[in-house]
Amino acid sequence: MWASRARYVLGRLIHGLPIIMAIVVVNFFLIRLAPGDAAQVMAGESGAASPEYMAQIRAQFGLDQPLYVQFLQYMKNILVFDMGYSFRHARGVAELIFDRLGATALLMAASMLISVGVGILLGAIAAVRDRTWTANLIVTFAIVTYATPLFWVGLMLIIAFSIHLPWFPTSGISVVGAADTGLRHVLDVAHHLVLPALTLSFFYMALYTRLMRSSMLETLRMDFINTARAKGLANGKIVYRHALRNAILPVLTMAGVQVSSMLGGSVIVESVFGWPGLGLLAFEALFSRDLNLLLGIFFLSSILVVITNAIVDVVYTIVDPRIELRRKRHVKP
Amino acid sequence: MSSPDVPFKASGLLVRTLRTPQGAIGLFLLVCVAGLALTAPWLFPDGPYEMLGAPFSEPFGEFWLGTDMLGRDIAAGIAYGARISLIVGLVAAFVIVVLGTVVGGIAGYYGGRIDTAVMRVTEFFQTIPTFIGAIVIVAVLGSTLPNVVGAIAIVSWAPLARLVRAEVISVKNREFTSACLALGMSDMRIMLVQILPNVLSTITVAGSLMVATAILFESGLSFLGLGDPNIMTWGFMIGAGRAAIRTAWWMVTIPGIAVLLTVLSINLIGDALNEALNPRHKS
Amino acid sequence: MKSFKRLRQLACAMSVMFVASMAAAAPQSGGTVVITTSPEPALITNALSSAPTTAELATKIFDGLLEYDMNLQPKPSLAESWTVSPDGKKITFKLREGVKWHDGKPFSSADVQFSLLKVVKDYHPRGQGNLGPVTSIDTPDAKTAVLNLAYPYPPLMMGLSSLEAPIVPKHLYEGTDFRNNPAVNQPVGTGPFKFVRWEKGNFIELARNENYWRPGRPYLDRLIFRFIADGATRAAAVERGEIDVATFGTINPVEMRRLEKLPNITIAKGGYEAIAPVMMLELNVKRPPLDDKRVRQAIAYAIDRNFVVKNVWYGFGKPAVGPISSFVKASGAFTDQGVTRFDVKDRLEIANRLLDEAGLKRGANGMRTKIVHDVSPFGEDYRRMGEYIKQALARVGIDVELRSRDYPTFVRQVHNEYDFNMTSTWSIGMADPTLGVQRQTWSKMINPKVPFGNVSQYSNPEVDQRWVAAQTETDRAKRNQLFHELQRLLVDDSPIIWLMEMDLVAVQNKRVNDLITSPLGLRGGLYDTWVSR
Repeated sequence: MWASRARYVLGRLIHGLPIIMAIVVVNFFLIRLAPGDAAQVMAGESGAASPEYMAQIRAQFGLDQPLYVQFLQYMKNILVFDMGYSFRHARGVAELIFDRLGATALLMAASMLISVGVGILLGAIAAVRDRTWTANLIVTFAIVTYATPLFWVGLMLIIAFSIHLPWFPTSGISVVGAADTGLRHVLDVAHHLVLPALTLSFFYMALYTRLMRSSMLETLRMDFINTARAKGLANGKIVYRHALRNAILPVLTMAGVQVSSMLGGSVIVESVFGWPGLGLLAFEALFSRDLNLLLGIFFLSSILVVITNAIVDVVYTIVDPRIELRRKRHVKP
Repeated sequence: MSSPDVPFKASGLLVRTLRTPQGAIGLFLLVCVAGLALTAPWLFPDGPYEMLGAPFSEPFGEFWLGTDMLGRDIAAGIAYGARISLIVGLVAAFVIVVLGTVVGGIAGYYGGRIDTAVMRVTEFFQTIPTFIGAIVIVAVLGSTLPNVVGAIAIVSWAPLARLVRAEVISVKNREFTSACLALGMSDMRIMLVQILPNVLSTITVAGSLMVATAILFESGLSFLGLGDPNIMTWGFMIGAGRAAIRTAWWMVTIPGIAVLLTVLSINLIGDALNEALNPRHKS
Repeated sequence: MKSFKRLRQLACAMSVMFVASMAAAAPQSGGTVVITTSPEPALITNALSSAPTTAELATKIFDGLLEYDMNLQPKPSLAESWTVSPDGKKITFKLREGVKWHDGKPFSSADVQFSLLKVVKDYHPRGQGNLGPVTSIDTPDAKTAVLNLAYPYPPLMMGLSSLEAPIVPKHLYEGTDFRNNPAVNQPVGTGPFKFVRWEKGNFIELARNENYWRPGRPYLDRLIFRFIADGATRAAAVERGEIDVATFGTINPVEMRRLEKLPNITIAKGGYEAIAPVMMLELNVKRPPLDDKRVRQAIAYAIDRNFVVKNVWYGFGKPAVGPISSFVKASGAFTDQGVTRFDVKDRLEIANRLLDEAGLKRGANGMRTKIVHDVSPFGEDYRRMGEYIKQALARVGIDVELRSRDYPTFVRQVHNEYDFNMTSTWSIGMADPTLGVQRQTWSKMINPKVPFGNVSQYSNPEVDQRWVAAQTETDRAKRNQLFHELQRLLVDDSPIIWLMEMDLVAVQNKRVNDLITSPLGLRGGLYDTWVSR
């Protein structure tokens, strides 16, 4: 069972490779579409520059070579995970990305947990207590939250819980200058994580709540549930053993699909909260034309999405053994 | 999933939508927003950019919703911003729907190699984080309104195409299609006359939700400073007000509420349409 | 008896207070100051780059031959004394004895010769401007450096600070590829602070140079430069006291005004006189309608500088008179006599009249013509200003379209291709107009390969002639007269609209004292700065 699953995941990854490469190629050329390069940025930052200075910079970063040469060089390096050098940060791209990866991963993991956990909970409650005040309240909350722009939620949370009630910090990942280690550091980061994670989770929470509710409602109506009821099983058991397990599937699938969307959302949340992650880095890289860095981030995020999709499919089978893994194209509802 | 028992009927749709509480509230809100957008030039003849008042005036004073850091009337900004939001939403959604329907329809109907190719393409578009893609496109092409709309459409059409494709496949596999084929109907005829009407309800619901997504996207792009600097949008107002968040909370709060209400109204209408067109989902 | 005792107690208490207050005013040794600045520099040695944050760091590590007092008069630094020959073509510097590099090697005239001729002149973006006429440097002995000039060049003496012409160690740089030399980012200098370490993405740490040639200085044990990417985080850190000093631009002006009101925070004014920053609008005089002087003047009249200072920059500045700012008043180069004033009461009528005279009639929508304003990508403030300019010019019938590009595209379009009508920027006038202001309006500086020169492409023989004359005029009064004439000519012609003299203030914690003691301010050595405990 596990061997076939492993084979399946591998298969999916290989299937995803051309997509990843296509993304890298398209982005490589897309970003170079707009003229202007690193030398100009650095010249601009100096406030003045001589032609010799700019030529020096170009040579240093290989920007004076023809486009296809740069491209081939880049592709060659990518295969050994050498993503180049970031002129703006004066560090290797891979090193820079791995430095910031943790922050984004933490943010996304926390948001994912909150949104899926709370979404499933609220959705289940709304379904089980359908047509009561509780259910209506939950549904209204979901509808309103789903319509709220991410950055606005973040700013409102800052106003409410950072400025008015000084419970949480306005930005950053840890207190500046604190050389905390161990537990104190963990708590400090957790403290800073609350508002950003909440912000990023709201939208998806609403999504999963609605999805869970409708999925649950459908499941509760299904035949096998009625059979269980006829057999005399207690209602609670029905809900928790059968209905829940079936109803969760669409939510999990959706959650996997939403990883891609969440990465985009993290750009906004990281921007609002000054969270030092990849989203913000990508944004900065774009505007300083730090092409290697931007491409590196694209490369990484597309790998992440492909992996996540494969994992979601596998998790799907674990939760619902009735679904087989098919190599070609499996059927998604 | 559409059921063949309830074909898409335009007539009575409005009434059926209004019957539901979501529909009624949604339509009411939307009419308010649209009304504001249409009457903006009369209500605020000077436009949203005139620096008429003292900077940072609080709301409920001389200026109903206060002023921003340059003394611009926030109420005027809301009114004019409504026009942009609605236009962007409608145009982007239209492009997405047309593109997605055509591509998804063809892929679903013909199947085989065409289907595989189309699926690869949509996978490609779905692997890039949509918002980051939109940022890159706008940053590369320049911050103008058409570019923003285009960028939104480019990154959003793929899921709709997949949805349409799935629907077309499911409709195609029903008996009446094979019957039509047996009768010798042309592909085009089958697609337009038999399949499309059944898929229309899905498209309508998805399309209406796309309007909301487009509005959210546009406000996000403007917030980050990627919007057209010559046009007053709600996202732009929030982004500009961010620097003064401690001094002037209203600069950030009020435009956000505008976005929220507009998107909410469209979502409610979409939900109501869904219920009207797919009554099986009624609980 | 009791009253006598009480009197004694009172006298005792008063004397204690008196002594305490004296102690509070006297510098104490020790302590750390944490400065935040942005962006993180790409390199630390400012002999190779004029990037602002590089300069902020390097000026603590390196010295120049001279420093300047608040009246912009040269003071000894690595040079103890100097004499200028009567014909102005030979400057002899007597160098300080006993100065050591941070690695212990002795400093000598060979270092001066190497640094100025081989490094600064060729690698520093302003090197040619600052040291152009220097053809050779003689070093008759280790303590003497003689600069030989091709022609007399009065501005030279104003460009020898650690900011403009730092002295770097010959023994580490000679014969190497300068840009890739490891000493670039592990610098060794003669300055008050030594480089300790650079944790990329986080901070750079500098420590006290115990062998600094100024006795008893620096007071501080450590200087830490922290790099925080987000503005709100910086502001919060300053408020909490985790950051002692925030340089201009790291905290947005609205927040600066708010922080100023807190009991432990204050705004550090001054320290930019030697840089003389002026904010301005550059107009492309080769492209209609801005090729017509009347149209340019109309724009100058239409913009309310006071509004810009107050509402866009929150009062951190004052309206500019012309290209030469009042910051250099001490040298006598500044004047506002006979200079056209644009902030008169009937300025809008004048503007309308000028546009009518220029033949630009109002169309059906009330607009006469359209121009594009390329907003400088330097920050939000420039966007706000762009929006204000759009409104201000709309009042006189000029339709302004705002265009926002990212940095490299902006540089390429505006500075390399001259594809623009109007753009905003700020420029450093420097302590001597020849070293800074000249670049903007001298026709020789029109060069599409070099950004931030004469972007307007302005070419006026009368102006050129005076710039050239001022380069070599050794008589101070005559030279200042030339600058006054330039001020009048340029403001009248308005190829550039000089809007505001900027106050590049810093936000600081009150525990830091004597932060600004020279016209270079935070770009100085900070050897007189101390913290109260």
